[in-house]
Amino acid sequence: MAEPLLEVRDLHKSFGGLHALRGLTFNIAAGETLGLIGPNGAGKTTVFNLIMNELKPTAGEIRFEGKNIARLATHARVKRGIARTYQVPKPFGEMSVAENIRVCMATDDLWKLISGRPDEAAERDIGQSVGFTDQQIGVQPSELSMGDLRRLEMARNIAVRPKLLLLDEVFAGLTLGEIAQISELLVEKKQKEGLTYIIVSHDLRALAPLVDRVLVLSFGALIAEGSFEEVINDEGVREAYLGQ
Amino acid sequence: MDKTTLKLLGGWLLFGVIMCLLPLVVSTGTLRILIFAHFLAIFAMSWDILSGRTGYISFGHPFLIGIAGYTTAILSFRYGVPIYFSIPAAVAATMVGGTLFFVPALRIRGTYFALVTLAFMEILYQMTKVVAPKVTGGTRGISGIETIVTGAVPNYYLTFAAMFVIGLLLWLLVRTRIGIALSAIQMDEEAVKSAGLNTTKLKLFAFMVSAAVAGIGGAFYVHYLGSIAPRGIFEINFLFTILIAALIGGAGTIVGPIIGAYFLTMLLEFLRPVLPGMERYFLYGIVALVVYVYQPNGIHSLLASARRHLSVGKS
Repeated sequence: MAEPLLEVRDLHKSFGGLHALRGLTFNIAAGETLGLIGPNGAGKTTVFNLIMNELKPTAGEIRFEGKNIARLATHARVKRGIARTYQVPKPFGEMSVAENIRVCMATDDLWKLISGRPDEAAERDIGQSVGFTDQQIGVQPSELSMGDLRRLEMARNIAVRPKLLLLDEVFAGLTLGEIAQISELLVEKKQKEGLTYIIVSHDLRALAPLVDRVLVLSFGALIAEGSFEEVINDEGVREAYLGQ
Repeated sequence: MDKTTLKLLGGWLLFGVIMCLLPLVVSTGTLRILIFAHFLAIFAMSWDILSGRTGYISFGHPFLIGIAGYTTAILSFRYGVPIYFSIPAAVAATMVGGTLFFVPALRIRGTYFALVTLAFMEILYQMTKVVAPKVTGGTRGISGIETIVTGAVPNYYLTFAAMFVIGLLLWLLVRTRIGIALSAIQMDEEAVKSAGLNTTKLKLFAFMVSAAVAGIGGAFYVHYLGSIAPRGIFEINFLFTILIAALIGGAGTIVGPIIGAYFLTMLLEFLRPVLPGMERYFLYGIVALVVYVYQPNGIHSLLASARRHLSVGKS
């Protein structure tokens, strides 16, 4: 059996007396799409924050491509191939779409940053690949709709050439048409670039066609795992997640 | 180099030519005022590359300027080190000081960082007064320091050349991808990390460049004045003049602080006959406030929009 792309083992996170995560364990294989669902406060975004080292785990281990990444800073994890989006898009507000992509394409080598010229053609290609027009590539994020901001998040993440993409509430604030477009984009990028996704979403209808497997969190604990149909019909999940 | 940069380089060239011809038409008194504008521009640019770009607001820039000033003053005056050694040593010492300055930036930012840098300035202020006063000159400082050149015209050209070269290099630097990466830190440092960039490395670079520029400015300043005293360097008005020059001119632009430095220096001088005392600072504070409220992006932005309107009008 192939080695998992990401392995999370017995992950705990406490904020004082609050246990945000209680011994979460899961794997994801390369090319797989994993849904991560649960009620508000279940610990879904905390999982992403821990994977990206935006928070330190209280206990547990995260391995990427077989290596423990505990000592890697956020930027180093991105360089290894893990990238994420945020619930509320975080574009660089005073930069154009192209410049936002440029930052994400930048190298850590200071001399190359100074001496090298921006690859405007590549910036445009990435922008167009997520559906931006030539005119939109020159505008600032304040002129974009929420759907376009989600596209910009995708473009910025594609620019860092990830293997694993963590998508946090990727459908939040979108119209039905925009959800369809983003879903299409995710499928297309997965097929073309072999991306692996973990998707956090409250929009189960949008999530259902995309995921191979779903994990359900409640109060920081894993309460169910399986196909979308399996978990959605699980009594424990209905009780915890849907309040039935 | 892209077309816009080449076109704007023409503006730099024109500015250089005009400023080089200026001594032919203005009095030595005006040149002496402009010399101070050049120093202020260097200090404001040093502040700008750090605070204007990365958003790490420094209230302690006189700490860096003071390290340079005292290092070259002590080496040259007390120990007879030639100034072509003492000035580079002062710049190197300032860069070491810049590293100290950088340490808090690893953990804090915003108001807290600004206050810590203010504390750096205050610590050095007190140290120069009480630690080894025989070396630093204590509260009286050191006077009789060797000057690099003498006379208004040579000093004008020397300070203008230093300011022009520093300004041009910094302007070219911020137009590269490193400039955009530093600006991104100001907008959202966490998002820069998520873009795979090592923000510690980028910030350290900005701090080092800022310190080097402050070091050059500080060392030249002391050798121009021929003296150094803690009250002159570590005075709060000196700090605010640097900050206001950068903000009023247009923070984060490099060109803005140069414009701001000329504007503020000339404003202070024009106010001198009317308000010879410290109340001038009150009035120039009001002028700065008006400009800043009306155009938060500074005079640079006003000029840029005027240029855009003109070019639209032409077409």
